[in-house]
Amino acid sequence: MKNKNKTIDTVWSCILAVASVLYMYPIVMILFNSFKQERAITTNAAFKLPTAETFAGLENYVNAVASKGFLQSLGYSFLITVSSVLAILLFCSMCSWYITRVQGFISNGLYMLFAFSMVVPFQMVMFTLSQTADQLKLNKPWNIWIIYLGFGAGLATFMFAGFMKSIPLEVEEASMIDGCNPLQTYFLIVMPMLKPTMVSVGILEAMWVWNDYLLPTLVLDIKKFKTIPMLIQYFRGSYGRVEMGPMMACIMLTIIPIVIIYLLGQKHIIKGVAAGAVKG
Amino acid sequence: MASISFKNVKKTYDNGVQVVKGFDLEVADKEFIVLVGASGCGKSTTLRMIAGLEDITEGELWIGDRLVNNVPPKERDIAMVFQSYALYPHMTVYDNMAFALKLAGESKEVIDEKVKEAAEILGLTDYLDRKPKALSGGQRQRVALGRAMVRKPAVFLLDEPLSNLDAKLRTEMRSQLAHLHKKLGTTFVYVTHDQTEAMTLGTRIVVMNAGVIQQVDTPRNLYTKPVNKFVAGFIGSPTMNFSDAVVVEKEGGVWLDFAGYSVKLNEEKAAVLKEKGYIGKEVIFGIRPEDVYEYSDYPEKEKAENASLTAEVDMYELLGSDVILYFYVGENKFTAIVNPATEARTGDTVKFAFDVNNMHIFDKETEYIICH
Repeated sequence: MKNKNKTIDTVWSCILAVASVLYMYPIVMILFNSFKQERAITTNAAFKLPTAETFAGLENYVNAVASKGFLQSLGYSFLITVSSVLAILLFCSMCSWYITRVQGFISNGLYMLFAFSMVVPFQMVMFTLSQTADQLKLNKPWNIWIIYLGFGAGLATFMFAGFMKSIPLEVEEASMIDGCNPLQTYFLIVMPMLKPTMVSVGILEAMWVWNDYLLPTLVLDIKKFKTIPMLIQYFRGSYGRVEMGPMMACIMLTIIPIVIIYLLGQKHIIKGVAAGAVKG
Repeated sequence: MASISFKNVKKTYDNGVQVVKGFDLEVADKEFIVLVGASGCGKSTTLRMIAGLEDITEGELWIGDRLVNNVPPKERDIAMVFQSYALYPHMTVYDNMAFALKLAGESKEVIDEKVKEAAEILGLTDYLDRKPKALSGGQRQRVALGRAMVRKPAVFLLDEPLSNLDAKLRTEMRSQLAHLHKKLGTTFVYVTHDQTEAMTLGTRIVVMNAGVIQQVDTPRNLYTKPVNKFVAGFIGSPTMNFSDAVVVEKEGGVWLDFAGYSVKLNEEKAAVLKEKGYIGKEVIFGIRPEDVYEYSDYPEKEKAENASLTAEVDMYELLGSDVILYFYVGENKFTAIVNPATEARTGDTVKFAFDVNNMHIFDKETEYIICH
């Protein structure tokens, strides 16, 4: 029995090792190529390690940062990601609190709507959405968070509501007796207890918003505002020419912040996703 | 400090279920009142109505001289200890205890003084920096008590606060609670389904069944003078023995005939049954296990002769200081707490004697007491 389990473990380890190589390969390729000279990327040498001849040092990174309004796009991406994630965390957790604690037709209906919104593909609503966003003037980096709030609410509410059910009602009642009004109960008692789910929802939503290309392309005024994923597309020049070196460097610079955030909070993701699955 | 007054208080849930059906009670200032009853009898709902966590459907609830039906929990000057402790898991013991005071806008010095004083009383001084998850069940319970204490409320509400503790800790905490009540001199309302807690802690006990008060009395009176069969059966462990019987007048006295046996009643009980016209009628009699003796141990043998029966021992239980013998009287299982030196064992035929002075006789239909 022990030997059989060991064999199964070994097989799984091999499968997962191959899967991780496949997942990591494009990123490693981008990393290597971001240190190569342009001609080495566009030839067969693209799949080779940098050599003394092809090594470009940090030139591609310098070019990426210096050109095409990289820093501005970085700022827009940060603004959109931070504002959207904060809005999702605040409003969705409050909404889940209402749904969980005020049982009734309205809250049950709301919950079903949120769950349903997760299965509606973005492509189905994107054109009407871009029209609506234009009409409502939600096409600026400082107010596009309202649209992200709408699209992120399904998953966030679902996860928050799952965790909220595991918080004993008596804790909230104790706070009411201690003198809290509903807002104080939420901000002083409920919100701190939601921390694991807050972190995991925050990371999942941040990864989505930071990397999103389609929604900002459709909604934002492209001439004025470009997020990082949009900017990368603009490394393609006219007549199909692509500045591969700076593009690779830009991709690496884009990945780094979100990878750091993910690594810092990864233990909370597991906790947050699993939370509420069983009664604590 | 405050009294509590219930005036025909009713609670009906949205689905139409009425859990409290006309609750009338006067709780005196500084009293330790215990609400006791089986699960679902409405005792916790009643407590939650005092706390303001449940709306009152009908009737009036007064705390002191204030009608509090529509007063929010934080303005009722109450503190509550929950069954699950309900501590704030993200706060330290100190912060848990200081939370209400901070909300009330007390100064840091006052908060510090009050929290440390309560921690000293409850033996929590060394744990003030810990989070609740790093505490044992008993320590958490004391934090919950401390959190209530620091506020110096007019009324202390406790909802089965000891039910999550093990037997030893429960006994310890029980005596701590009794000391605390004496020390604080505050009105305590305590909910439990554990009659030992009720009997040992309560100044008075309210026995509830299906949302209705059955009896409000001192622990001793509840035990010795139950007003109906429910109270008689609920209070006491092992429970009171009951059997249907017919009241007959024969051989110059009044007897109870039941399951092929006859027991002669004493003169007081005989007079009451005669006066109330129960001769020839069916009644229910009850007798506590400690009032059923082995015949050989009964102190007044000449009286026991007319109040004895012989039965086969169905089960023998040694509890250390006592022995419980189980036997059948007709279809009713009876228990007798007897001398631990008894030689009776399972399967033996034993002669038992009833102490008729401590028999309780109930009306068969209403189940209310006829005589003690």
